[in-house]
Amino acid sequence: MSRVVREERHGRRFLLTPNLARGTRVYNEELVLRGGVEYRTWDPFRSKLAAAMLKGLPEDVIREGDRVLYLGTSTGTTPSHVSDIVGETGLVIGVEFSARVAREFVENVARKRNNVIPYVEDARDPSKYNVAKVDVVYCDIAQPDQTEIALENCRAMLKPGGTLLLVVKARSIDVLKDPRVVFGEEVKKLERAGLAVTSVIELSPFEKDHALVAAKLAA
Amino acid sequence: MSSEGTQGNLDEVRRRSLQAAEEAIRAASSRPDLHLVQAIQALDDADKFLNITATRAAEWYGLHFPELTQMVQDNVALCRIVLSAGKREGLTPELLQGRGFTEKKVEAILTARDRSKGGDISDEDLARVRALASLAVEISGNRDKLNEYVEGAMKRIAPNVREVAGATIGARLMAKAGGLDRLAMLPASTIQILGAEKALFRALRTGARPPKHGILFQHEAVHAAPKWQRGKIARTIANKIAIAARVDYYRGTEEASIRSGLDKRLESIREKYKEPPPRQPERRERPQRRDGDRDRRQKHRRR
Ligand SMILES: C[S@@+](CC[C@H](N)C(=O)[O-])C[C@H]1O[C@@H](n2cnc3c(N)ncnc32)[C@H](O)[C@@H]1O
Repeated sequence: MSRVVREERHGRRFLLTPNLARGTRVYNEELVLRGGVEYRTWDPFRSKLAAAMLKGLPEDVIREGDRVLYLGTSTGTTPSHVSDIVGETGLVIGVEFSARVAREFVENVARKRNNVIPYVEDARDPSKYNVAKVDVVYCDIAQPDQTEIALENCRAMLKPGGTLLLVVKARSIDVLKDPRVVFGEEVKKLERAGLAVTSVIELSPFEKDHALVAAKLAA
Repeated sequence: MSSEGTQGNLDEVRRRSLQAAEEAIRAASSRPDLHLVQAIQALDDADKFLNITATRAAEWYGLHFPELTQMVQDNVALCRIVLSAGKREGLTPELLQGRGFTEKKVEAILTARDRSKGGDISDEDLARVRALASLAVEISGNRDKLNEYVEGAMKRIAPNVREVAGATIGARLMAKAGGLDRLAMLPASTIQILGAEKALFRALRTGARPPKHGILFQHEAVHAAPKWQRGKIARTIANKIAIAARVDYYRGTEEASIRSGLDKRLESIREKYKEPPPRQPERRERPQRRDGDRDRRQKHRRR
């Protein structure tokens, strides 16, 4: 079961995750109470994973207790919600190689959440943070060769039967090609590597020319 | 079962990772770019200072041996000779050969020594000249070390800017902007004329043409180009520097495509604007039209 809650307010659908670090915020999200539990609103315009879930990605791709390898945490917006979702029994290994943006991630997310382990490292070298096998690899690093990088990380750390969630930004791979062509090519790469692609979700209107690709490793 | 991933173990892993991450963040927040900005300014200071002291030493020694000043154009090389030779008579063939002069040059200098029209120099005067020469040689050594530092630091901190602009020009742009973060936020149009602020403000005041380039004039591709291409080339390079600075600041990795894209663009400008534009009829506001480099020449005269 997923801990993500769906709601609708003023005709707008949005998501909530139960706040693991009670009383604290990570960005300018709202804190709301539902049945005595504190939740944080999850903004699909600021988080591609939230956008994907609103556009049809099943919420249970990440469950309570899961271990997640998160590549490209940036300042920690999405990782903080993933930390909410996997809860105390789960784990988020967060990798970000730019020390400047990692600072906010470490201060506002990793320090305050026991289930987050931060690494200021390059996602090209999983040996630096290969501390546990994971159920999910989430990759959002906006590099031209990020699919290869994601696959490398899956080989190193993803459990059999585990899931890869890959954010594809068409423009950072090829500026000139039609985004759909780019998405198709990245999907082929995953399939050639032996993963089964389960969905390709375009993120408009939340993000332009972005897609989230979900794929499964054979059990 | 391996112990990897058990809960107690992971708590310990987390404690250590947090520490390492904070360490990495602290190291990055020491702002190496601001040290680089100081270094490039120290390098430019050293060049000025070197020029002043070496020129003075050469001129002073010239009272004693004017022919040598003529024959050795590099003032720092001259200072080295003065330091080891002292008076004219001290200039031996061995000493000159040791300094890497050709056989012919050594011959010429020795002949000049024997027929010099220069006056005598007292021990006290010579001591002062030598002290000055020694200062110049020391500054020169320091200058070379600073230059090496700037090269190395640019490679680490702004590899893409270095690829496009070169280490010293890139560092000077960074200094003008006030750091890599600020340079990464500047629009290309501002980067194009960084260092030509005076000309720009005068242009705004008087309605004269704005400058086409500032620090970027020092870029080989700009100053080696025919005059009518320079503005376009400076704009192209500024565009690439703007992209490069952002990649360096936000991503920190080197990207070969930035440089190769620049080379292609420059090639097509050179091809397309091969011929000078047809001469424009003289315009009345002509005397006000000064661009950056012309302005610099003008400045000394007006003072
Ligand atoms: C689009 S942002 C991620 C945003 C984040 N996933 C969120 O939704 O909140 C991409 C991040 O990946 C980081 N990155 C890029 N290349 C990387 C690499 N090779 N290793 C680790 N991080 C990388 C960048 O520094 C940047 O912060």
